[in-house]
Amino acid sequence: MRWHLLLRSGPGLTGIAILLALTLMALFAPWIVPYDASELSGRPFEPPSAAHLLGTNDIGQDILSELIVGARVSLTIGVLAAIIAVVIGTLVGVVAGYFGGPIGAVLMRLVDVALVIPFVPLMVLLAAYLGQSLWNLIVVIGLLIWARPARIIRSYVLTLARQDYILAARALGIPGGRIVLRHVLPGVFSLALAQFVLAASASMLLESSLSFLGLGDPTQKSWGTMLFYAQTRSAFLSGAWLWWVVPPGLMITVAVLGFALVGFALEEITSPKVQRQSAPPKPTRTKLPVVPSLPKAGVTSSTPEKQG
Amino acid sequence: MLPWIAVTLNFLLPRMMPGNPLALIAGEDVNLLSPEQRAELVARVGLDQPLIVQYGRYLQNILRGELGYSFQWKQPVVDVLAQRLPWTLLLTGTSLVIATLIGVVLGSLTAWRRGSRGDVGTFIFFLFLESLPAFWVGMLLVAIFAVRWPLFPTFGATSPWETLTGWDYVLDVLHHLALPLATLTIVSVSGTFIVARSAMMAVLGEEFITVARAKGLAERQVLFRHALRNAMLPIATVFTLNLAFAVSGATVVETVFSYPGVGRLIFEAVLSRDYPVIQAAFLMITVLVILANILTDAIYPLLDPRIRGAVSSAQGAAR
Repeated sequence: MRWHLLLRSGPGLTGIAILLALTLMALFAPWIVPYDASELSGRPFEPPSAAHLLGTNDIGQDILSELIVGARVSLTIGVLAAIIAVVIGTLVGVVAGYFGGPIGAVLMRLVDVALVIPFVPLMVLLAAYLGQSLWNLIVVIGLLIWARPARIIRSYVLTLARQDYILAARALGIPGGRIVLRHVLPGVFSLALAQFVLAASASMLLESSLSFLGLGDPTQKSWGTMLFYAQTRSAFLSGAWLWWVVPPGLMITVAVLGFALVGFALEEITSPKVQRQSAPPKPTRTKLPVVPSLPKAGVTSSTPEKQG
Repeated sequence: MLPWIAVTLNFLLPRMMPGNPLALIAGEDVNLLSPEQRAELVARVGLDQPLIVQYGRYLQNILRGELGYSFQWKQPVVDVLAQRLPWTLLLTGTSLVIATLIGVVLGSLTAWRRGSRGDVGTFIFFLFLESLPAFWVGMLLVAIFAVRWPLFPTFGATSPWETLTGWDYVLDVLHHLALPLATLTIVSVSGTFIVARSAMMAVLGEEFITVARAKGLAERQVLFRHALRNAMLPIATVFTLNLAFAVSGATVVETVFSYPGVGRLIFEAVLSRDYPVIQAAFLMITVLVILANILTDAIYPLLDPRIRGAVSSAQGAAR
């Protein structure tokens, strides 16, 4: 794998820098927050000052501290949900792609269905019934966005299965399960990694929407939850929107964009192999990622989760 | 086949949910009932019957178009949906058309100039738009264009307590539509853009484009008449898919603007455990998603004569 290429692509490098900064912020949150985020450290609706750099919210909590601690919640949900999605997606993709057969056909039919479900309403339903907890959010999001990784990984496995070294292994009589473990899975790894990063981008956006609707974990305030309170307290009707509404949204945007930049850069580095075999050759190689031409069917796309 | 699976899931899901199934019929009042009343109610609606009998009845009712009665709105579910659907279609449908036009035009132009600085910049800009949380964009637009400068109303689809007619009514509706529409379009335009761009890039590399250029046709003509025509397939796929999504409303945007659409309705129904509304809404969405897929299959041969007669395989390839 030509990982160094990632560091040479401008957008990819920007994305890595963003993610690194956010991760550090989340890791060291307890040591860098000016106040305890749940403590009432000031008067309500205090505008930004030296004591409270981003002011306070409706009950007098320090917004900068909430923002820093919120990074932990938002990133955790995004990353864990993406892990669930990619593990399921890889399993389904490898089974459907390598073994095929009736099980493969059923699995791909399932993928088709999962891709066209408008899932914000479904997610709202599940999140509301399962109850408001961090883990439920993670599971709900993960279970709804596995289909895109599954489809992409399957199409790669299809080409991988025709490679000489896999054919040779099969000719030697090595059992399928062993080939998958020793040869197919390692071959799929870098593609799965790219899909993981893109899924994390989508999960964070979905998490923010759910939390904004008030379906987040009330004990673990994420950036979306902050905006939920800002909305219910009508922060945008007063001057408070400048320091209460703008910062959390910016953090969400930057984090989602960071993951997307890294994801697209990774996809570009890892996909030429796929393209050379499955698509007609392109006359000139572009600097930009060639995004698969089919609808992201909502998974990272603005469409469903955004509209929802 | 697919409709049947959807309908069956729709039947089973609420029955697997935790909670008292009686709440399904009696709503929140269920705790006020005496044991005798409860038993009577259970018998009346058939909850004491085996699941398979209930299932048969459920299918019968759907075929008759009886979707039940909303607890929250105290009226037939069909009426509740019928009131919300036009607003959602106005909002999401208009946004879909605008976003598609912008996405296709800009996607084509950047594909044509790929690799140039403007192209990279546009791509990253659209990636940024894609990363924006819809509700946040909405909140900012309200704060700026409805509160700071009160140009637009902050909520609703029409002015309350006013009976406007004719042009005044239309203007009032458009006035209320502006901000939600802008929000939805800003966050959804990148989907079409990215698809249009990659489809155009694939087509622009083909030989007939070189031929068209060699014939001395104007670049604009090559781009929009020769290339776009051939890149329509994936674009149409996204469009019809989004059309189906459009019906499910835009929960988050409708929440920010208190817009009376289907997305908001589903959310309210979930919060108040209004099962008949939830079931009917999901049924409607599923049916429309399936219709959209059939529509896509029907459109393909019109857009691309090469796949006439081989629709199913073409769709498989497109996927």
